[in-house]
Amino acid sequence: MSGGRRTLPYLLLFPGLLWLVVFFVIPLVYMGELSLRTGSLTEGFFFNWQFSNYSDVLSDYSQQFLRSFIYAGVATLLALLIAYPLSYAISFRGGKYRNLLLFLVVAPFFTTYLIRTIAWQTILTDQSPLVEFLASIGLTSNGRILDTPASVIAGLTYNFLPFMILPLYTSIDTLDRRLIEAAKDLYASSKTAFLKVTLPLTAPGIVAGTLLTFIPASGDYVNAYFLGGRNQAMIGNVIQSNYLVTSNYPAAAALAFILMLIILLLVVIYIRFAGSEALMGDEASAN
Amino acid sequence: MEAASIHNEGGASPFKRASRAIGDKLLPIFAGLAILYMLIPIVVIAVFSFNDPQGRYNFEWVGFTTEHWTNAFGIPELTSSLVTSLQLAAVATVISAVLGTMIAIALVRYEFYGRKPTNFLIVIPLATPEVVIGAGLLSMFISFSFPLGFVTLLIAHVMFCISFVVVVVRSRLIGFDRSLEEAARDLGATPAQTFRLVTLPLIAPGIIAGSLLAFALSIDDFVISNFNSGTTVTFPLYIFGASQRGIPVEVNVIATILILVALAAMAIVLWQQYRADKMAKVEPEPDPMLEHPRESRKHAVTKQTP
Amino acid sequence: MSDKTTSRNRMRKVVIGAAGLGAAMVVAACGGSVGGGSDAEITTVSKGDAKASGTLVISNWPLYIDENTVSNFEKDTGVKVKYVEDYNDNTGFFGKLRPQLEQGESGGRSIIVPTDWMASRMDGLGYLQHFSVPDDLPNVEANLRDDLKSPAFDPDRAFSVPWQSGMTGLIVRTDLAPDIRSINDLFDPKYKGKVTMLSELRDTVPLVMKADGINPDDATKEDWLKTIDKIESAAASGQIRDFTGNDYAGPMVRGDVVAAIGWSGDAVQLQADNPDIEYRMPTQGCILWSDNMVIPVGAPNPNAALEWINYVYDPEVAADIAEYVNYITPVDGAKEVLAKKDPELANNQLIFPSASYTADCSNQPSLDAADEQEIEQAFERAITG
Repeated sequence: MSGGRRTLPYLLLFPGLLWLVVFFVIPLVYMGELSLRTGSLTEGFFFNWQFSNYSDVLSDYSQQFLRSFIYAGVATLLALLIAYPLSYAISFRGGKYRNLLLFLVVAPFFTTYLIRTIAWQTILTDQSPLVEFLASIGLTSNGRILDTPASVIAGLTYNFLPFMILPLYTSIDTLDRRLIEAAKDLYASSKTAFLKVTLPLTAPGIVAGTLLTFIPASGDYVNAYFLGGRNQAMIGNVIQSNYLVTSNYPAAAALAFILMLIILLLVVIYIRFAGSEALMGDEASAN
Repeated sequence: MEAASIHNEGGASPFKRASRAIGDKLLPIFAGLAILYMLIPIVVIAVFSFNDPQGRYNFEWVGFTTEHWTNAFGIPELTSSLVTSLQLAAVATVISAVLGTMIAIALVRYEFYGRKPTNFLIVIPLATPEVVIGAGLLSMFISFSFPLGFVTLLIAHVMFCISFVVVVVRSRLIGFDRSLEEAARDLGATPAQTFRLVTLPLIAPGIIAGSLLAFALSIDDFVISNFNSGTTVTFPLYIFGASQRGIPVEVNVIATILILVALAAMAIVLWQQYRADKMAKVEPEPDPMLEHPRESRKHAVTKQTP
Repeated sequence: MSDKTTSRNRMRKVVIGAAGLGAAMVVAACGGSVGGGSDAEITTVSKGDAKASGTLVISNWPLYIDENTVSNFEKDTGVKVKYVEDYNDNTGFFGKLRPQLEQGESGGRSIIVPTDWMASRMDGLGYLQHFSVPDDLPNVEANLRDDLKSPAFDPDRAFSVPWQSGMTGLIVRTDLAPDIRSINDLFDPKYKGKVTMLSELRDTVPLVMKADGINPDDATKEDWLKTIDKIESAAASGQIRDFTGNDYAGPMVRGDVVAAIGWSGDAVQLQADNPDIEYRMPTQGCILWSDNMVIPVGAPNPNAALEWINYVYDPEVAADIAEYVNYITPVDGAKEVLAKKDPELANNQLIFPSASYTADCSNQPSLDAADEQEIEQAFERAITG
């Protein structure tokens, strides 16, 4: 490679990376700094190495943290249970309608996020036939679905389903069918073939899908806001209200920082456990 | 587990045959139900766009009317928020497409120091909850007393779109056939010409796909916009405000229009693909005697996904 | 890779990491002050001799004005009005606008309409401009109701002029919960999970206090905190379904909620959605409040703003507004004007409440600055699940 080309990659990278550094990394630094301030709105917030902010918000809002991860976890699991068979069906049985079906599945998510969520208010209202039926078979708490954990989890599952479907489908669809054929030629039953061939080979898709679903879901506040009421507030709601309603910036910043760190921790553990490098893919070999 | 038996798949047992038949049907039925489940809210939204509520709220069916369709843009605040969203999305898409493509090219084509940190930096925003990204940006803007508005929204939107563009274009670049570029150079083209006349047109679908993704993300963004918009109102922010006092039926109308637009776009893409497939299939008349059923399956497995 | 290269790589990483951290600290140190209110002096605006002109941007609560006043004002004065209904709740709006107000900007607005306590807070932070009612607002001077002339938070009406007053009380679905008449009925297990309260601290807590016999004006910090505890247990047990802003009405229209703490004017408007929705004066009395027109710092057209404030205090104009909005008008003389057009409306207790109707009502209390933050945060924690 000629000498002039050596600077070319850096030139190409520079503007985009600069944008990311200035508007993603640096703000996190500011958020950290804000979280260490103390004071009040009327007197001003002053930097004070106030690490007690962290212990304060953890003790005040531990319930909301826990709740967020539980809701997100359940929603991710449900999404996986729905998305896997769905993707499998589309890929293996879709035939020439595969792309159409895939689109039908993803198209609903072109409506605005808020409107989709609010539509569930209409569907899950206490008086609706669906809810009354569920109440009659005892599946509701206090005879309702709205303003309970169930509706928030249902909302999360629904809204993040595409994030689960797309990576799963990509993974399943690029599976080499001949491997399954080979397994069957070796007298494996459908079940064995699935468990020993398909599932392991689509593991990267499962890992990607669950991460792409769990992470945004745990920080979400729209579903809890519209479907759950304040009794089901997730940590996202608390962060939002502390920033935008009570203007309690240090607490809000501390909460956001803790959320980020916990998620990072969970992701690291998960990836270590799942052992997948498919996520970050290294292109050095692609050259 | 079942021992490997010659009777595995062609099982003589009627029970096994029946359960396999049911199992066969189960999957498509499940898929069908799942698809139905995903479409329910959309149907509700569309149906209620024809409702004629007497008061502020659009929760109960009152009567059928098309007046909200004929007058879809009759609410000034709604329309102006939509315009703001479109403008924002357009500008953000262009900027993030350019920046993102440049990064993708550098990542795939060149060697440089700091590949791992760069990858990391690209992926991390995708793995951070929006609430954290929005809060971070707001923290910085507050510390600098920077006025919140269209500019801060634009900054935020470009920021979260770049990563998506990079991922999409990168995957397109990886599957790219370098021999075409080599051929161009063999025929005397300069690197710049090669890029402009060969590479760029061939990765254009990837760039377009990335841009469409960025556009859709920008139009739909609520959380990050909520934190950084100050008093500027985008379409999702309008809906959020309106949800406090009753969402006008026109919002349902516009949401339905958005879906129809997406459906139309997909129809066009599918139709293009169908035509492209047809043209690629131009070949001498197939001899039905020679056609082997396995041929079509091999064709499906190796087909390039666009 | 040789050992030398590995350790060199590691060294490089450490150096880069340290440099990054150092840079981050430098960057963070560049952050400026946050909060604390504006340090600038309070400005006073006056009409001057120039006729009002240009554009006037008003931020108001939704559904708080009739259809004609804006265009009438434009015709009568030549001022172009941009009337925006983006004031959805006090704290939310404040949270969004505060950073700009801190810098002396109002985002282009010349009038905003906060409730009493928020107007007081904004003035305390230096976000409002002052004016002189006797000099520049003759209609206000003449027609402002006596009981609103000198509130505790703004004794001279130097920075606020009431737009509408209202009552916070019970909004009830009379078909589903006919017997709810007192705030304490909201704690009745019969209605578990079907009642909501307002997330507005200064409406909800005083009402519950009154139902327990405590006078909000005399309440101590302990009284507030004890009442907040009572509300918190009711919320935790599921008795109270939700704490809402304006959005209590939606679930009530759907029937998910049968009774709520809400605002008097809403009830009348909601009857179009469902005729069984009604405002009920709680047996122990309601909370009275006003939303006030204020001129924020950085207002682009204070002259036109003063013109508008004066204009809406003309009894004819006030009557038009009251007829549509169904809240309590602060303008004397509007009742008489309305009586000629629509006698039934003139006798509507919600718009022109008699002294006996509001005998037990208290004004919305303001909190001592010393206790404010603690009580606000306690309430916020109580109502967040």
